[in-house]
Amino acid sequence: MRILARVRDAALQRSVVQAAERLGAELVDGAPGGDGNASSPSGAADVLVLEVEDGADTAALREQARRTDTALLLACADSEGCDGKALSEGDDWLALPASDAEVRTRIEIAQQRARGLRAQREKQEAAELIRYEELLYDRLTGFPTLPVMIEKARELLERRGELTVLYIHFVWYEKIEEIYGWQKLDDVLETTAGAVRTFYSREAASTESMAMVSHIADDDFILFTHVPVSPEMAEKRLRALAQRLESFLRERVEEDHGEDIAALCGIYVGAATVFRNPKIRTERLIYRGIREAAQAARGAEQWERTRKVNDLKSTIRDGSVFIEYHPIIVTETEEIFGFEALARGVKRELRSPEVLFEVAEEANMVWELSRLLRKRAVDGIIDDLEDGQLLFLNIDPHDFNDPTFRNLDPGDLGSVKDPSRIVLEITERTAIKDYPAFQEYLAVFRERGFRFAVDDAGSGYAGLGSIANLAPDFIKLDISLVANIDTNFLKQNLVETMVQFAEGQGAKVIAEGVERQEEFEAIKELGVHYTQGFLFHKPRYAGIPKGGGTAAFSHAQAKENQAVEAAAEKAAAAEQKAHAEARLEAAEAEAKAEAAVEAAQRAEAAREAAAESGKTGAGGG
Amino acid sequence: MNGDKILVVDDDPDARDIVRTFLDANGYEVTTAATGKEALAKMEEVHPVLVLLDVMMPGMDGWEVARVIKNHPEFEDVRIVMLTARSDFTDKQEGLRSGADDYIVKPIDLDNLAERVQRNLAAREKQA
Repeated sequence: MRILARVRDAALQRSVVQAAERLGAELVDGAPGGDGNASSPSGAADVLVLEVEDGADTAALREQARRTDTALLLACADSEGCDGKALSEGDDWLALPASDAEVRTRIEIAQQRARGLRAQREKQEAAELIRYEELLYDRLTGFPTLPVMIEKARELLERRGELTVLYIHFVWYEKIEEIYGWQKLDDVLETTAGAVRTFYSREAASTESMAMVSHIADDDFILFTHVPVSPEMAEKRLRALAQRLESFLRERVEEDHGEDIAALCGIYVGAATVFRNPKIRTERLIYRGIREAAQAARGAEQWERTRKVNDLKSTIRDGSVFIEYHPIIVTETEEIFGFEALARGVKRELRSPEVLFEVAEEANMVWELSRLLRKRAVDGIIDDLEDGQLLFLNIDPHDFNDPTFRNLDPGDLGSVKDPSRIVLEITERTAIKDYPAFQEYLAVFRERGFRFAVDDAGSGYAGLGSIANLAPDFIKLDISLVANIDTNFLKQNLVETMVQFAEGQGAKVIAEGVERQEEFEAIKELGVHYTQGFLFHKPRYAGIPKGGGTAAFSHAQAKENQAVEAAAEKAAAAEQKAHAEARLEAAEAEAKAEAAVEAAQRAEAAREAAAESGKTGAGGG
Repeated sequence: MNGDKILVVDDDPDARDIVRTFLDANGYEVTTAATGKEALAKMEEVHPVLVLLDVMMPGMDGWEVARVIKNHPEFEDVRIVMLTARSDFTDKQEGLRSGADDYIVKPIDLDNLAERVQRNLAAREKQA
């Protein structure tokens, strides 16, 4: 501790010296008068003991003390002398004459006050620093933002004479947020960032030429590096590096979040190299490099999109989709009550229905795709349905814009012989804006005997209000309501409310995604009418177990599923190969994919045979 | 019972005191917090097994606090019981996404409180 004293009174001087000794403090400028204020800054002192004399101006000293968080102790001839000078500033004072003990105690207290002031200031400064750093570092990924990186990039460019920029372009389909929520997208982005970081630290260790990774435009990343070879070779090395990074990131996303999510987002890496040019400002060169790399990445994305659109066109032309049917059972009896049709693309990249529809939207072929899927779904099962069994078809509200569908053309659902067998399951992810018009559409279908279900009830998309508006025959609970319902009383309460609501409306409730026995028991307890989930049945390629599903049938079913899977995998492998080797070989891959379709058709033939044997098996048993 | 740690989060000091006193008397070890931020700090400090969480709080609301807690790998298995006025509850179906496990309607009925706490602690045992 340091004590600065400006004291003239001899007794007080002695007291201060003694106090400093007792407290183990360093005493500065113990003598009165002497040099001016400026040369003995109170900034270094914790406590300033200042004797107030009539006429002497101490304002400057006191001001300085305040600025430097020095605790002030005024000494005055009497209490009036200090009035209005010290108290209002929260500083302490003492009246002369004062005992040694008093001086010591007051100095000690002042010292503590100084400590408090400093701690407070440090805290404030730390908070400011954090705010400042937040501007420079991305909170989600922890990467520095571009302004921080430019400096390092410039240094690298100037030292090496060249700089390579890798631009990582992250794109995702909107469905990822619509289905899984923004948190999921954040998670995926975090995985990507983490993977970029891992890649960076690995490469940096092996080449010593990686600069840092930066984060830009909230979903893209930049990586500065240096490829130390001749320009011709560099081109190759660069492409290899970009490809390695791309596949590394893809793998990580797939690993952490599964194939479905990986299919909904794309990662494209573009590369560009800039060379030092004394005539051009270095920053400008760097920005040019970033721009070129970004263009390359977007080019790759564009290429990929075009390819997917072409794939979709051929998918629709060749009808290379298959339908899986997921059984729905009666909760009480566990008998099969109906099937939900789930569409799958044969091509690996177009496997998930979400991707199919996203690409179809880009290709402007949503209606065509929907028609194909509806037709396949109905044709694949309608003749095999047993008495009372229903077929659930997923319908997007947008489908009603398609006149073929809306007017129940013979080529579409219009040709269904028994519409009461069909339940149109409406997913309200694309919010219905015009309810009156929509209800009119529904009325046409109702008249013909079709029934309706609302999908994902309780997910936030379909609230009770909109459910009431649609007056559905079935309400399908969102998967999130069912997961772990056995231990979540909030969910139990909501489902109970839903069941009561449904019964008031004359509707039935279906629980989706039931995976555990405990969940099923909770659902049953709450009076949910129907159940769907892996606990009882997995989606099947086609066909229905006749006579309650004999062992013979299940076996045939499993085999057939395997055949389809294998065919699809083969097609997928062909796809990947084509992608990796050369994009020119697409034609060959096409042929392979066609072969896969053929294989799928063969599998269908096998199914029919299997269904036959199933019938026989059931008849015999 | 037997000293299970419970964190009570409510911006209303009276509500906090009533719940704390009651749970104290029932043999739980109770910590309280007045805001969402304080609650998160207390989570780290005391590691409760159950959190009673008021929905309507200034700043971070209860749903948000619940989401943060449930997304934290260390606190996944902490049971969260929301304290809510009936109207909040019906409006907030999406609050489910926050991961809350149960709710108690305010004004709090103490018998109901005891029952809810017990059944959630039992459910937690079952989960583990």
